[in-house]
Amino acid sequence: MKLSETNKAWILLTPALLFLSLPAYGLFSAIWTSLHENGSFTTKHYRTLFQQETFWESIGYSVRITLLSTVLSLVLGLLITRAFSPFIQSTKGKLSIWLPMLFPHFVWGYIVLLLFEQSGLISHLLVEMGLISSTSSFPIITNDQNGIGIILTYVGKETPFVVLMLLPIYAKQQDGYKDLVQTLGGGKWAAFKDAEWPWVSPVLLEAGIILFAFILSAYEVPFLLGATFPEMISVLTYDWFYSGDWNERPLAFAAMIITSVLIGIMSFIAFSAMNRKRMLLTKGQG
Amino acid sequence: MKKFISFFLLTLLLSACSNADGESNSNTQPLQDTSWEEIEAQASETTVRIHMWGGDEGINEYIDEWVAPRLQDQYNINLERTPMDTGNILQKLYSEKQANKQDGTIDVIWVNGENFKNAKENELLYGPFRKQLPNFTDYYEQENLAFDYDFGTPTEGYEAPWGKVQFVFLYDQEKIEQPPKNFEELKTWISENPGEFTYPNPDDFSGNAFLRHLLYKGAEDTDTLIEEPFSKELASEAGSYMWSYLNDIQPDLWRDGKHYPASLAELDRLYSKGEVSMTMGYNEARAEHMVEDGVFPESTRSFVLESGSIGNTHFLAIPYNSPNKAGAMTAINFLLSPEAQVAKLQPSYWGDNTPISLDKLSEEDRQAFESLDRGDSVLSNDVLNKSFLPEADAQYVEWIKENWKDEVIRDK
Amino acid sequence: MDRLSKQKKIQFWALTLLFFILPVVFLFLKSVVLNFGFGRSSGIDFTLRGWETLFSESQLIQATLVSLGIGALVVFLNLSVGLLAGKALAFYSFKGKALIEALFLLPLIVPLLAIAMGIHVAMIRIGLSDTWIGVVLIHLVPTVPYSIKMLQSGYASIGTGLLQQAKVLGTNRWHRFFSVELPLLMPSIRSTVFLIFVISLSQYVITAIIGGGNVVTLAMIYFPFLDSAESTVLAAFSAWFALLPILFYLSVELLLSLLPYQNPWRTRL
Repeated sequence: MKLSETNKAWILLTPALLFLSLPAYGLFSAIWTSLHENGSFTTKHYRTLFQQETFWESIGYSVRITLLSTVLSLVLGLLITRAFSPFIQSTKGKLSIWLPMLFPHFVWGYIVLLLFEQSGLISHLLVEMGLISSTSSFPIITNDQNGIGIILTYVGKETPFVVLMLLPIYAKQQDGYKDLVQTLGGGKWAAFKDAEWPWVSPVLLEAGIILFAFILSAYEVPFLLGATFPEMISVLTYDWFYSGDWNERPLAFAAMIITSVLIGIMSFIAFSAMNRKRMLLTKGQG
Repeated sequence: MKKFISFFLLTLLLSACSNADGESNSNTQPLQDTSWEEIEAQASETTVRIHMWGGDEGINEYIDEWVAPRLQDQYNINLERTPMDTGNILQKLYSEKQANKQDGTIDVIWVNGENFKNAKENELLYGPFRKQLPNFTDYYEQENLAFDYDFGTPTEGYEAPWGKVQFVFLYDQEKIEQPPKNFEELKTWISENPGEFTYPNPDDFSGNAFLRHLLYKGAEDTDTLIEEPFSKELASEAGSYMWSYLNDIQPDLWRDGKHYPASLAELDRLYSKGEVSMTMGYNEARAEHMVEDGVFPESTRSFVLESGSIGNTHFLAIPYNSPNKAGAMTAINFLLSPEAQVAKLQPSYWGDNTPISLDKLSEEDRQAFESLDRGDSVLSNDVLNKSFLPEADAQYVEWIKENWKDEVIRDK
Repeated sequence: MDRLSKQKKIQFWALTLLFFILPVVFLFLKSVVLNFGFGRSSGIDFTLRGWETLFSESQLIQATLVSLGIGALVVFLNLSVGLLAGKALAFYSFKGKALIEALFLLPLIVPLLAIAMGIHVAMIRIGLSDTWIGVVLIHLVPTVPYSIKMLQSGYASIGTGLLQQAKVLGTNRWHRFFSVELPLLMPSIRSTVFLIFVISLSQYVITAIIGGGNVVTLAMIYFPFLDSAESTVLAAFSAWFALLPILFYLSVELLLSLLPYQNPWRTRL
C-alpha cells in the first residue's frame, strides 16, 4: 500500500493533534466560563473588562515590555551565534552559554533581583570601588516603572534560547553560499542578506513568536520584578483570579482570552507569511 | 503510546457527557451523631493528610517534628503534611465539587478570612464538627465573637480555632530609640526620616492589614465599622482619612513612594538589609524567629499604636470530601489540646499565640503557658490584649485593594 | 586569522563569564553568605543555615526524585510526539499547514492557568487528577509546542536529501530512523531534552492544581519559600534547582554514550 504524501503527513501529525485536544479543551472551557454567569450566556464580563482603564493600560504596558525583551533577546542571540558559533559548539561553550537555561524563570529573576536591586551586589561593589557615594544613588532598575528589571531577566534567560534555536543552522551552514555570493561580487552585507538571512529569518520569527507569547502571559518574573504600577497583564489577571472575591474570576478568564486572541492573531499572520518561503527553502536543498 | 492516546479520547468523551452535574447534594454528615470514643477508634491506624501553606520553616518543623510523632504515639495516626497555597487548595476543592467528587485527598486545611468565606459559600467544607471536639468544649470559650465570626463570616462550627495573631510593627532599636505612639507620630517620624518606611501593597495580606488600621482610625465610630456588615458609605467615610494620610506620607516613603513592596517578604528583605528601619506583620512573635536565624538584627523590637492593633484567629477545617473525617477530627482535637498549644507558642517552633482560655486549664497547664518566655521582641500579653481590635467584614479587604491604586498610586 | 580567532575566543569567554557564569557563581555564594558586608558588620558572615534548612526539609529528596521521574517521562513523550510532527511539518506540504502550525502554538498562547482550570474538572471525572499521570499530561501542554518547533527546524536543517538517499539505498524504515535520522538530529534532540526538562521542572501552579498535593514536586516545596525573607535558604534552594537539570543531562549523556551504534553523540556535525 502506497500512502499519498498528504496522508503520510497526517499520520505523522496524529499524536500531536491528539495532544492538542488537551489545551483545546482547556481553552474551550475557559471561553465558556468567561461567557457565562449563573448558567446563562452573557457578554457582561467582556463589557466590564473593556471598561476598565487598568486593563487597557496594562495591555499597552505589557506589550511594550514584551516587545522590547523579545527584540533584544533576538538581536543579542543572533549576534552571539553569528560571532561565536564555533566556540558555542564545543561542549564547554555550549554548557556555559546555556547555563541560564538550567534555571527556571523565577530563579533567574531572583538572581537578577539580588544583583541589581538598590541594595544588591552591584550597587555595593560600586560603592566599594568609590564610583558612587552610597547605595541610594544606584539607579532603580528592579521593581521599576519602566520594567528594566523584567527586561533584564528575560534577556538574560531568553538570549541562550535564541542561540539554541539558531545554532543548528549555523552549525550546518556551509560557507559555500557565502563564498558564492562574495565571488559574485557581493559585499559583506549582501552575503548576509542573501546567504544567511533567508535561513535565519524563519527561525528568528518563530523564536520571536514563542518568546512574545511566553513573556506576555508569564506571571512569575513580573510578580518578582515588576513595579506596583503599571502592572503586567499577567499579574493583573492573577490578582483577579486569586483575589478573595471569587466573583472576579470570569473577569480573569476574559482577560486571559483577550490576551490569547491578541497573540493568536499575530502569530497566525506571521506564520502564513513565512510558510511559503520556508517550503521553498527546504525543497531547494534536496 | 496507544494507552496515552486513549487517555485523551477518554478525557474528551467523559467530560462531554458528564457536563450536567448531578447536584445530588450528598452532604451526608455521618459523624454528627457518632460518639467521640467511636470517632477516635475509627481514626486509629489511618492516615490524615493536612494541606497547608509551607513557607515557614518553624511552622513546618512544628508539624513534622512535634505534632506528627505524637499523633502517631497517642492516636496511631499517620500525619502527612503537604505544602500548598490555600488559594490552590480551595481551587482544587472547588473543581472537585463541580465534578461531584466525593472521595477527596485532603483531610485538614488551615484557613481563615476570605478563604473561609469562599469555602463556606461554595460548600467546600464538612461540618459542623466543632462542638464534638472534647478539647474545644473543655478548654475554649464556647460563646466568643472571635471564634463565631471569621472576618464577619459566621463560622457555625465549620472550623475550629487553632491560633491567634495580632498585628505589630517591628523596628530596629539601634536606629529608633522611641517608636511612634500613634499615627500622627508615625507620620512625623516618616517625614523626618525619608526613605526609611514603606508598607507592602494592599494586595498583600499584611499591607492590607496596615491600611485597615488607618481605616479604623478614620471611622467616626470604630465599633460600628467592626460590627456592622460592609457598607460603601461607611467605607468611603472612614476611607477619606486613610487616603489623605497615605498621600501625605507617600513622598517620604522608601523610593519616594513610587514603588511598594509586592509582598511582606520583600519588605522584610529591605528591613533585614537595613534599607528601611521598620517592617510589620500579622503575627506578634514573628521577629523572634527571624532574629534567631540571623535575618533580622538582634536589636529588633515590636510596637503597637495607641489606636489599637488588629488581631484575628486562624482555624482548622475539614474539606467536604475528606476521606477520613474521623481522623481529621481526632487530629484537630489534638492540635487544640493545651499540650500542643504550648508547644506551638514556643518561639523556637512557631511562637503563635493560643486562643485557649487560660482560666479553664489546670493549674499545671496554665503555669506552662504563663511561664513561657516568648522572647525580647514580643510585647507582653497585657499590652497586646489591651490594644486588641477584631477584624471587620472581609469585604473591606477587597474594597481597600480595589481603591488603593486609584486613590494613592494613579495620577501621580 | 589565528590571532583573530584567539581574540574572538577571549571575547566569547568574557561575555559568557560576565552575563551567564558570574550570576550563577554569585547565587551559590549567596547561599552561604548571610549579608554582604553592610555598614553594620564588617566583613562577611558565612552560614550553612540555608543548606541545613534545605536538607532538613523532610520531603526534599522524595520531591527531587518525583521531579526527575516526571521530567523524564515528559521528555520521552515530548520526543515521541515532536519527532513525528516535526518531520511532517518539515518535509510535507499540505493544505492547512499554516493553520496547523499556528495551532501547535496554541498552548503557549493561552495562559496555562486557564487551560489547567478547565482540564482539571475533566481529569477529576476520569480519575486522572491527583495522579502523576495527570501531572505528566498537563506538563505536556507547555512543553510539546517547543519540541515540535525545535525538532521541526532540526529536520528542516537536515533537508530531505540525505533521507531520500538512504531510502534509495533500500534500508528499512526503522533502520533509517536509527542510523540516519537520529544521529543527524542529535543536536536538536539534545537541546529539546534539556529545555523540556527545565520547563517541566519549573511548573508550579499547574502541578499544584492537577497533582492536588498528592504529587509533590520540587517546585511545590520551593514556591512557598518565595514568601520567606531568608535569602540564604532561597538561594540554596535555587541552586539545588539548577543542579537537577545538570544531573539529568549528564545521565542522559551517559545513557546515550552506552548505545552500541556509532556513538552519534560524539560526532561533531
